[in-house]
Amino acid sequence: MKDQLKIEHHIEGSNFSAAGSASSEVKKTLKQFNISPLLLRRIAIALYEAEMNVVAHACRGVMSVDIQPFCIHVVVEDEGPGIEDIEKAMEEGFSTATEEVRQMGFGAGMGLPNIKKNSDEMTLTSIPGVGTRLEFIVNI
Amino acid sequence: MKDRNYTHSIQIDPDRCTGCSHCMRVCSTQAIRIMGGYARIQPERCVDCGECFRVCPQRAIYAKDDGLGTLPPENYKIALVPSVFIGQFPSEYSATQVLSAVKQVGFDEVFEVEQAVDFMKEAYQAVAQQNPSHPLISSYCPAVVRLIQVQYPSLTGQIMRLKAPHDIAALYLRRSKEKEGLYPEKLSIYYVTPCAAKTVAARAPVGEEKSPINGTVNMTAVYNKASKILYGFKKPGLHKTFANMRPDSVNWSLSGTEKKYFPGRGLAIDGMDNVIEFLEKLESGHVSDIDFLEMRACDQGCAGGILCPGNRFLAVERLEHRQKRLQKLKDADNGRVRNPLMEYEKILHTMSGVDPVYPRDGLLLDEDMEKALIKLQRIERLRTYFPGFDCGACGAPGCRNLAEDIVQGKASISHCVFVQRVMEKNYKLSPDQAFVVIEKIWGKGRLDKYVDKV
Repeated sequence: MKDQLKIEHHIEGSNFSAAGSASSEVKKTLKQFNISPLLLRRIAIALYEAEMNVVAHACRGVMSVDIQPFCIHVVVEDEGPGIEDIEKAMEEGFSTATEEVRQMGFGAGMGLPNIKKNSDEMTLTSIPGVGTRLEFIVNI
Repeated sequence: MKDRNYTHSIQIDPDRCTGCSHCMRVCSTQAIRIMGGYARIQPERCVDCGECFRVCPQRAIYAKDDGLGTLPPENYKIALVPSVFIGQFPSEYSATQVLSAVKQVGFDEVFEVEQAVDFMKEAYQAVAQQNPSHPLISSYCPAVVRLIQVQYPSLTGQIMRLKAPHDIAALYLRRSKEKEGLYPEKLSIYYVTPCAAKTVAARAPVGEEKSPINGTVNMTAVYNKASKILYGFKKPGLHKTFANMRPDSVNWSLSGTEKKYFPGRGLAIDGMDNVIEFLEKLESGHVSDIDFLEMRACDQGCAGGILCPGNRFLAVERLEHRQKRLQKLKDADNGRVRNPLMEYEKILHTMSGVDPVYPRDGLLLDEDMEKALIKLQRIERLRTYFPGFDCGACGAPGCRNLAEDIVQGKASISHCVFVQRVMEKNYKLSPDQAFVVIEKIWGKGRLDKYVDKV
């Protein structure tokens, strides 16, 4: 338990007005560490995209961030429709977002590729109809 | 790389401060604590925005400047006056009159800073052509630059690497006076500042070795002297006969003009809370396709500066009138603008850049990652003991801040009045000891009858 810290934030599905608050809170915490600005930016973007995925697609989710001396380990689990074809979901520009969500400026199909780009390791698993589990690591 | 230059203009006079904590509650960067009966500023967090200055009921907070008294009598003294200063006076006094009144306060020459804005407009085009990473954040407001350094370290790379107009004006004056045969050391350039942040920018510039400005004078001090002279003028005001700058340059320091001069999509954001809200979004990568962000810590830009004695909306109106007048002069002169500064445009381009801006470690718990983690764990644990409604009775603006102060060795858990009750109940603290703790924070005699203190 020493040398690590877990922060948990709940994310509400479809609540676009509150979207971004979980990642913003985590970001605030991370600023207290000696993490380079560039790295902080990468983590912030990955967190935000992960949070938005839950808001845009799922019913609810939990973001847990594990801060360790050499990496930031993030797990975002949600209850929702899940992803049918993970490979397809990882393609840039592919999105199953509804027209309404797109009109709000989300669902451009860049979320997952953006998380991959800004993290060092990323695993995405899903059970269609049950939910999705996204895990990513950013090395410090 | 880190920036550890913490010179500040905002100061607290302990003789006047009663420790009422108004300032502590409005500070956007949680830089103020109450200790020993009065407010203290943590230099690594303060960005000199001056929000505390606005709310202090005792007028105990002041903006430290160099002051008129430091003007060397033997030197050639030039006052750099921002257009908002002219906006402090009613329209019947012409800009020429206002500036001549400033001159009589004790200067040999007066120069309106916004003349340098004509150059800024060209410089922005040049910067845009270099294809910087978007969005670029204006470096104009020094409080915003410092806010980004302290609270948004990952955005420091987005700050435009250009000097501010008052620096450009000073560089021009230095060049042109040298050409006229004046020795550089015989020249004293003082900026009449509308805010504390600009004083800091002149004293401890970010991304520059040394500012070309010799000192600053608070606008309030110049206003008090100049208005007496101005209102004593018998004859109606002299007016300029030609436009000495582009008409809308006078509005550069307000909100909304600057952004028009950066190609692409730009937003103008003013007011500390608005700036913070937007920077939060920006840092998460939530905002895209914006090319330029004009940001001002004060509502209505520099017209809302803490050292502007007049009303900000009247000042804005006055400057709008002035823009129209300059437009008329320009039209009457076949569209010509006679700005002597622009004759130096080429050389100014070579001098207008600044070094990259680096973050400050105002929020850092510890340089060492493992130590920082242990501290954060302690903070989280401590927070479970605190009520979480940020009453401020501990002398810190919030429960979280108290927890942070405790792990940094600056406070103790018994500073929380709720924890004190629990400790008393468990015989860990006597009422006398609790009394001592309160007096340590809020000052001796603070728990005596309040009548005399109101």
